[in-house]
Amino acid sequence: MSDILNQVFTGLSLASILLLVSLGLAIIYGTMGVINLAHGEFVMLGAYTVWFLQKNFGLDLLPCLVVSFFAVAAAGWLIERLIVRHLYKRPLDTILATWGVSVILQQGIRLTAGAELRYVKMPGWLSNAVPVLGVEVSAYRIFIFVLTLLLLAATYLLFARTRYGFSLRAVTQNQEVSRCFGINAARVYSLTFAYGAGLAGVAGALIAPLKSVSPDMGTGAVIDAFMVVVMGGVASLMGTVASAAIIGQVSGLLAFVYNDTVAKALVFFGVVILIRFMPEGIFSVRVRRG
Amino acid sequence: MTDTNSMRWRLTGYVLFCVIILVFPYILNNDYLLNKYARYLIFGVLSAALSFSWGYTGILNLGQAVSFGLGSYAMAMALKLRTIPIQTGAGGLPDFMVWNNVKALPWFWEPFHSYTFAVFAGLGIPMLLAFVLGWFMFRGRITGVFVAIITLAMLVVINLVIVDQQKYTGGFNGITDLSTFKAFGVGFDAYSLSTYYLVAGTLCVVLLGGLAITRTKLGLILQAIRDDENRVRYFGYDVASYQNFAFTLSAGVAGFAGMLYTLVMEFASPTFLSVQLSLSIVIWCAVGGRGSLLGAALGAILVTGVQGNLSESPTFLDTWMLIMGAIFIIVVLFLPNGLISLAEKGVRLLKHKSARETATHPVAGAAIATFDSKRVRES
Amino acid sequence: MAMLEMRDVEVSFSGFRAIAGLNLSVNQGELRCLVGPNGAGKTTALDVICGKTRLARGHVRYRDREIGNSEEFRIARLGVGRKFQVPSVFKELTVRENLRVGLCKPHGVFSNLVGRKSGESAERLEALACLVGLADELDHPASWLSHGQTQWLEIALLLAQNADLILMDEPTAGMTGAETHKTAELFNQLKGKHTLMVVEHDMGFVREIGDVISVMHQGRMLAEGAISEIERNPEVKRAYLGSGRISDA
Ligand SMILES: Nc1ncnc2c1ncn2[C@@H]1O[C@H](COP(=O)(O)OP(=O)(O)OP(=O)(O)O)[C@@H](O)[C@H]1O
Ligand SMILES: [Mg+2]
Repeated sequence: MSDILNQVFTGLSLASILLLVSLGLAIIYGTMGVINLAHGEFVMLGAYTVWFLQKNFGLDLLPCLVVSFFAVAAAGWLIERLIVRHLYKRPLDTILATWGVSVILQQGIRLTAGAELRYVKMPGWLSNAVPVLGVEVSAYRIFIFVLTLLLLAATYLLFARTRYGFSLRAVTQNQEVSRCFGINAARVYSLTFAYGAGLAGVAGALIAPLKSVSPDMGTGAVIDAFMVVVMGGVASLMGTVASAAIIGQVSGLLAFVYNDTVAKALVFFGVVILIRFMPEGIFSVRVRRG
Repeated sequence: MTDTNSMRWRLTGYVLFCVIILVFPYILNNDYLLNKYARYLIFGVLSAALSFSWGYTGILNLGQAVSFGLGSYAMAMALKLRTIPIQTGAGGLPDFMVWNNVKALPWFWEPFHSYTFAVFAGLGIPMLLAFVLGWFMFRGRITGVFVAIITLAMLVVINLVIVDQQKYTGGFNGITDLSTFKAFGVGFDAYSLSTYYLVAGTLCVVLLGGLAITRTKLGLILQAIRDDENRVRYFGYDVASYQNFAFTLSAGVAGFAGMLYTLVMEFASPTFLSVQLSLSIVIWCAVGGRGSLLGAALGAILVTGVQGNLSESPTFLDTWMLIMGAIFIIVVLFLPNGLISLAEKGVRLLKHKSARETATHPVAGAAIATFDSKRVRES
Repeated sequence: MAMLEMRDVEVSFSGFRAIAGLNLSVNQGELRCLVGPNGAGKTTALDVICGKTRLARGHVRYRDREIGNSEEFRIARLGVGRKFQVPSVFKELTVRENLRVGLCKPHGVFSNLVGRKSGESAERLEALACLVGLADELDHPASWLSHGQTQWLEIALLLAQNADLILMDEPTAGMTGAETHKTAELFNQLKGKHTLMVVEHDMGFVREIGDVISVMHQGRMLAEGAISEIERNPEVKRAYLGSGRISDA
């Protein structure tokens, strides 16, 4: 029994991180139809931000999270302005351009911060275990879970309740028309891209204490996030959440039974089989083809 | 007609290129350089294969290196089993298996004692994999960016599996210390003229054969699919089959290129199916011109040629990736059809100087008549 | 026996019923005009027939075969051709190449790999281009064409396809008066040999071509009959109230 619970909690924390990474990806795709291949590098940048702040200023993780969000969001904003903006009419080409960006970011970090693995400290007050339902759960994993829920709620409110969210939905529906209503589509896009990037930055910062930090850490993270987006569809926040939860739990379990690699492979094949029958993800009803 | 005119230009370009790479060894008689250029030409094959699926059909396969790597491993497995003496293990075990305490040759290694099997596997496994993945994707109407991320994900997953299964694949080190491939009494040593000709001949066949395919009705339908795949369906074409044809054929060619690469490099390694190589293929293709097989091949030769000739020091390689990333972004932004589009523009300028043909118009009513007589004949 | 028969067809888009119990039957060789105010569901009705949109309930029978929710290419192979409201041709291909794609038999991958260009089909292709006035544009990319020319190209594609049942969604939109007239002549020539279903707002055009007119409103069939009957029908007048289209031609 406690083994199962343990496994569920591990799965939950995997799913939380997965959700943070894929949320940004899904929001960007859902709004502008752009798959951002540099998303994994945003995660990596978030992790390096924490490493940098800890090394130079000895900051605790919490303030680092905030800085990570804004630093990576700023990077995302810049990339949208300089590159992605010019390619909205050519979605396949945005994939290529953002791939180029990812190479530059990865190589840039490798040249400046070094190629070796870096380590980040977990804050003291989060490094012990807490009993939950009779099992010891790492406090840090609970922290990740709670923070993810908070960010999810914030994202929901941002989209559903604010003027920015309204503009965003309007622009997603019809750019031309919303422009007539005085909505600045370009600004909305930049902000959305920055927000998605910021979320990835936070995810990276959260992963940092759990794993080592390295220039190519983003690749693995983004692949799992692709699976989430492919499986969840982009129609709703709900789809992303549910599919992150499912993939997180399933990979946690498979990794426990076999190993990480086998888990990744099996999840990939599962998703490929799924898309044959539910091409628009598990949470959308298919009405019109094409 | 302008149509055949531009075709003549294109064919001239292709043939000229083939002649150049075929007479090349007579100009330059240096084993080391031959080996190096053979490598570039293999990348040309790989890049042309991507151009067929991406430029012509609109299927952006970011996992092209999977096919390449699998082909390369198939060849390496066969060549590994021919090394004498392989190692001390029972039944001629490859050395890395001995180091990993494998006691008997795994069943899927057995058939690689046969060259014929290996060659078929090098072609067939990538094609089968592509076909199955394609079946799921294209029947599920997955297109565009989603094809790109799914193929990329597959690449990462397969790479991880190969590195992970060290006992059977040699892990990080790959499969090294191979024997020389021999077929029909000819040895294909990495530095030999025969290997160069095998590679150059392959590139010629791929380019000319590919050009011929793009000229058929099938090639036209592939381009129509790239343009507007939904519209194509309403003419009764089964779009998924067409897409899968292009995807699978391209994978087969990439697999063959992988086999050649093992001959030229004398080993197989997980870097042959790395994200970085896949990225490079896409860059070559984009720089040269995704919409032209020759352009894509030239792009590969040009980029790898520059890379190989500048320097091979590790610090340079680090900055090289930065430069590549930047070049890639610039090409995508400002020259989406690659360098070849500049050449095509030049040709078009020349063409405009030649007088325009004026077509004679038969009476419009005749059209309906032809159209109906055809109908009667069919029914 | 009707060639095409739709019975109790329902289509809903996330709850909104765009078609709510549509009944329609079209005979072989007929030219049927489908009219109705904006948003009546005309385009959706054509979408259902050619397989673009899934129906939630009901039947679509074509030559005694159920085709509702079949794949588009299968329906097309049975002889159903479609022209879209937003003209859709292959913009990157030349007009000639567009027409070659339209000459769609055979459909299979391998037969199109080995098949050779026949002189006959080349002839037919040029004849079609002349018919729609695009002979001078044969080697130009379709993206160079004007809106009206694009409409013509798509019509030519359908003629090339040689479908038995041709579904036309607003074929004359963006055409000049003379062009519209020419289209009407063409349609009149086609009827009898082909079965046509034409969605139109231009009542002048409808008058030129239509025998029987079906009027849709809010996803249902409102009235059916000859044009003079339809124009007198009080229900139809009420449906068009505000848009005023039925009488403006
Ligand atoms: N994909 C869709 N999702 C949601 N609603 C849709 C969709 N397609 C059509 N509709 C709705 O269905 C109704 C019928 O649309 P349809 O396009 O069939 O009308 P129409 O009769 O062709 O109108 P028009 O004369 O303007 O072309 C409209 O209210 C439209 O908003
Ligand atoms: Mg309509």
